[in-house]
Amino acid sequence: MIMTKWSGRFLGLGIMSVLCLPTAAFAAEISVKSDTIFRGFERDTATESEAMVLPAYEYLQIDVDTPGEPGLALHLYGWGRGDLADKDYYDDTTDGEVLYGYLEYSKKEARFNAKLGRQHVFEGVANETLDGLRISSDLGRYFSGSLYGGQQVAMSDEQGRSGDSIYGGRLSHHLIGRYALGVSYKKITNDSEDAEEMTGVDLAAYLPYDVNLFGNSTYNFESEDWAEHSYEMRATFGQLAVRPYFQKFKYDDYFATGANSAGPFRFLADSGEELTVGGGDFTLSLDSTWVLVGKFKHYTYEVLDDASPYYGAQATWSGEKHCQIGGEVGYMNGEVAQNDYYLVRLFTYWDQLPAILPIGFVSADVVYVGYDKPIYEEDNSLFVSLGAGKKFMEDALELKLSGDYSSDPYFDQDVRGMLTASYRFGHSL
Amino acid sequence: MRTKFWIGIGLSLLLLALGACAALDSGLDLPARHQTAEDLGEAPKMCTNCHEARGEKLAFGNFNHTATWMQTHRQQAYQQEAVCSMCHQPSFCSDCHASRVELKPSLKNQAETSRQMPHRGDYLTRHRIDGRVDPTSCFRCHGNPKSAKTCVRCHG
Repeated sequence: MIMTKWSGRFLGLGIMSVLCLPTAAFAAEISVKSDTIFRGFERDTATESEAMVLPAYEYLQIDVDTPGEPGLALHLYGWGRGDLADKDYYDDTTDGEVLYGYLEYSKKEARFNAKLGRQHVFEGVANETLDGLRISSDLGRYFSGSLYGGQQVAMSDEQGRSGDSIYGGRLSHHLIGRYALGVSYKKITNDSEDAEEMTGVDLAAYLPYDVNLFGNSTYNFESEDWAEHSYEMRATFGQLAVRPYFQKFKYDDYFATGANSAGPFRFLADSGEELTVGGGDFTLSLDSTWVLVGKFKHYTYEVLDDASPYYGAQATWSGEKHCQIGGEVGYMNGEVAQNDYYLVRLFTYWDQLPAILPIGFVSADVVYVGYDKPIYEEDNSLFVSLGAGKKFMEDALELKLSGDYSSDPYFDQDVRGMLTASYRFGHSL
Repeated sequence: MRTKFWIGIGLSLLLLALGACAALDSGLDLPARHQTAEDLGEAPKMCTNCHEARGEKLAFGNFNHTATWMQTHRQQAYQQEAVCSMCHQPSFCSDCHASRVELKPSLKNQAETSRQMPHRGDYLTRHRIDGRVDPTSCFRCHGNPKSAKTCVRCHG
């Protein structure tokens, strides 16, 4: 497994930090979660057609903390991959990544929290992974705040990390059980040049009659206009839950994120397009087992001067434990025929099997999609997946085996297999 | 320049406030961990099976993991990440929301058909249409240089 230089440094820093701490400082537990995944499928590579590709993945999570208690903690999670067939299919991609690795200190008082290391910040206008520091705390009865700063992980491939930085924060005013109103800001620089600068407001309002309103608006300082407005309402009327929503995006401002933007989206930032999305989800719980869902979504384009509605319906039956049988149909009525498709999905997951069977669960999934205009001379896709698994060693080890078949515009017949071994280990320090 | 000055002042004041007021409770404190399936004797499915839809501190009804939750949890997660972390470890979120994941979530958890993971089945074909209809939905997860590695193999 080849880790990037920074990923390796953070992993090492985290482990060293915990080893250097006096063990008396915390009655901690170490827990390790390992997912080892073996896959097999055929692909054309640069040197061979229909070459067998046999990737093996290791997803490793290590947590050192006192479960349920504030204090000092360490969290690590990452993945690595090797190709057992040693083909060149993965030559151009990274072989691993530390997804997060940070030291955390938290106090019960004022919900104080500090994280140092690689972490994902998910608040206000921030949805970023960074190497750095984030602190958050309540600021009395009516306010709370957070600040973060460091280097954005996504920029590591853009001419190295020299001159890269990210910082920002969020201030929230709230009245418990009534509303929360937040103001947030973030700025990203790449090679010492401004890449992205956003500010935004977010809202959660708890209105009478169990009606709740949520939403956020984002302003792009670089393009000097609003990039996004997204608002939704959630209300419950007996067994029926409704979620009407409204979204508006200005492409010139939403996609104009400088060096932080990526290839397929950059050209959209000059399109002048404005997309308005309106719709709703309607969820009817007939009893404790049956749930029916209706979905409607309507896309309207300002420049294109056209619209695309989507209609969907879903029915799910849930039984004991995780048993479930469900189906879904959907129809996308695009503004042009090449954007029309209909979708039918049937699925089940069943873990109430007779004890005589050597497996703990079975699962099945069938997805059929029909396209109004053929894609590579095919007008449909069929995907079938079957799975089974069993737990061992007092549920510490779970083995899952699944096989997939797909016949679609890209693959005449694609057969893939996957074996997953999930192992959980916990030990008091 | 004037805007940047005020942003700098604002962030500095926020830093000072975080240092000075970090002992003042808001009353919003939640348990660090929710009771587990072992504690309860069964896996918790709906928050409102045990809690009022509109509790004193939380509107529990908004966190019910209904059949559409996988597609609609964004606003709740933004506003109340602490509620998510009572049951889910960060890795649960990172399988989708991370700088670089190679296996799409529905593939990594292929056998867990009941979880309504996005991009199930032949999404390679379907993304051509979904991407044209609403590219903002792609951008939210694939919109930076690292997470867009999946896209640039074909899109350049």
